[in-house]
Amino acid sequence: MTLLRALGVARRYGTITALAPTDFELAEGESVALVGPNGAGKSTLLAILAGALEPSEGTVERREGLRVGWVPQQPAHYGRLTARENLELFARLEGERRPRAAADRLLERFALPDDGRPSAELSVGNRQRLNVALSLLGSPDVLLLDEPTASLDPGQRRRLWERIAGGTICFATQNLDEVEHFADRVVVLRDGEVVFAGTPREYEESELEVFH
Amino acid sequence: MLRKDLRILRRSPILLGLLVSYPVIIALLVGLVAGYANTKPRVGLVDEDNLPPIVEIAGQKFGVSKTIAEVAHNVKLVRMSKDDAEGQLRSGKIVGVITVPAGFIADLQTAVRSPSLIVETGTGGVTPRVQQQMQALVYQLNRKLQRAFIAANLRYVTLILNGGDGSFLGRGIHVLGLEGTQKLLASLPPSQRVARIQKFVRVARLALGQTGNALQATANPIRLEQRTSTGRTWVLSAQVQAYGIALTITFLALLLAAGSSAAERDENVIGRLGRGLLSHGQFVAAKVALASAVALALGGAIALVFGIVIEAGGVVGGEPWERFPLLLAGIALAGAAVGAIGTLVGALAREARTASLIAVLVVLPVVFLGLVPREVVAAAGWISDALPFVHAVRYFGSALYDPSPWATLGRETVWLVGLCAVFSGLARLGVRRLAG
Repeated sequence: MTLLRALGVARRYGTITALAPTDFELAEGESVALVGPNGAGKSTLLAILAGALEPSEGTVERREGLRVGWVPQQPAHYGRLTARENLELFARLEGERRPRAAADRLLERFALPDDGRPSAELSVGNRQRLNVALSLLGSPDVLLLDEPTASLDPGQRRRLWERIAGGTICFATQNLDEVEHFADRVVVLRDGEVVFAGTPREYEESELEVFH
Repeated sequence: MLRKDLRILRRSPILLGLLVSYPVIIALLVGLVAGYANTKPRVGLVDEDNLPPIVEIAGQKFGVSKTIAEVAHNVKLVRMSKDDAEGQLRSGKIVGVITVPAGFIADLQTAVRSPSLIVETGTGGVTPRVQQQMQALVYQLNRKLQRAFIAANLRYVTLILNGGDGSFLGRGIHVLGLEGTQKLLASLPPSQRVARIQKFVRVARLALGQTGNALQATANPIRLEQRTSTGRTWVLSAQVQAYGIALTITFLALLLAAGSSAAERDENVIGRLGRGLLSHGQFVAAKVALASAVALALGGAIALVFGIVIEAGGVVGGEPWERFPLLLAGIALAGAAVGAIGTLVGALAREARTASLIAVLVVLPVVFLGLVPREVVAAAGWISDALPFVHAVRYFGSALYDPSPWATLGRETVWLVGLCAVFSGLARLGVRRLAG
């Protein structure tokens, strides 16, 4: 069952095309990897799917009542607030009935410090885990992740995937190991256009030169 | 969002300190500049008559330095040579030159003709003010001399009335006087001619008896009675309170709203918020509420300090504490209207540092346009009508001291609410750009 569908979505900044008209579908329980070099349009497509960015053209259809969690590439939280304060604030904005309990749950699940330190003073790994934890507020049906492990060491990557894998997800990555281990389907973008769509095996067999 | 912004602000003590102290310092500097405008301008005094320390005019002695100090209320007279005066007038070190020409005192003493003082001013913008002050100086000098001449004339009248010894143009004279004449006539054998002369002397004595009042009345057809009030000093005047509070909250609210709005993008949070968590309207409302709340806290504190100082100083009239809630309502409203402009600036700038810089660049003209009198530059009045500062000043002044403030408060409230709505609408459009 399709949860999320993009029909001819594109994004332009003046004369620059960040994403050419693109169709995309995400079915329930599916894990899709968006692969491509920097500037390929992966982040733009994810932001449009998440509703964080208006497409210049095209539309995004969501199943009625669908809740989408979004992990932007750069950590998106308030540096002067603690991890707990960030979680409680966004829990309220997400409409969580018990924001404090939601914050407790995610602090524990992501092993985030609760020592009163502002989140700007946390390690890169902790900041990225907080970034991901924030996307899980409101019990999303779909998770859209923009290179969630880019700044993490191998151990941190493994632990993060343990926490997020299993649901309906679409993630941007440049790490082919992640594609192999966590994706059911691969979409390759280059210069704002989809140049490949298929399974990881088909992708591997295509010997497509994604990264020059 | 408001609670989050207040919490972040509380955790930024340097920023908070700057936001509070900067407008207060600016308000003080503006006050000092305004005070400087009230200081006495320097005027050169060129003495070509070699004025002696003491001058006798109409039988009265005048100390020259003392007299100059008494009449030069609004200017600072500095003695200098003619050449120095010309040089300093050209360079702007003095704003005018007053020359006492040769023969001035001699003409005054003989009272045969009116001597002249020569006043020369520059061509700058202060010239009309200097000319007024020179006219005031000569007026004060004339009044002093007038009193001396009237007193001298009255002495002659008294001499004519009562008789006795006196002097005229430096020469001693003896006058029989009307009283002596009347006595002399009484000793003469009665006749019709003597009776007519006696009648004339009686009438003349009665008429001359009124000469003192008549001379005073002719010299001063209208008398100006000056009374010194024990009311507020300039620093504590209602207008300064109104300007001080308005200036402070304009700086604070504009910078805070602009910086805080742009910071949402700097923190990379704007995209997360834009996913339906917070509408653009709610975003603007949160920033406007932040500006309003902080303006209320700081503006209220400043008004409270003013009130305490006024009470402690025993200023007549005191602080109208019963109007304090009205003032607070105005501060909150003005803070919101300015906050809406700040949010618009922040949304358009898209980056906190740029937003803060633009906010400072915007806030100075907003404030100074409001300080320019409409009578001086009409366009400044029209522009400032479209900005909250001048309406805040009028509201605060009226709330504090107008005996019947409601009409002004109503009008200015409508202005502030309208401006808040217009700028909030524009800010809402700007936030789309911030999120994009």
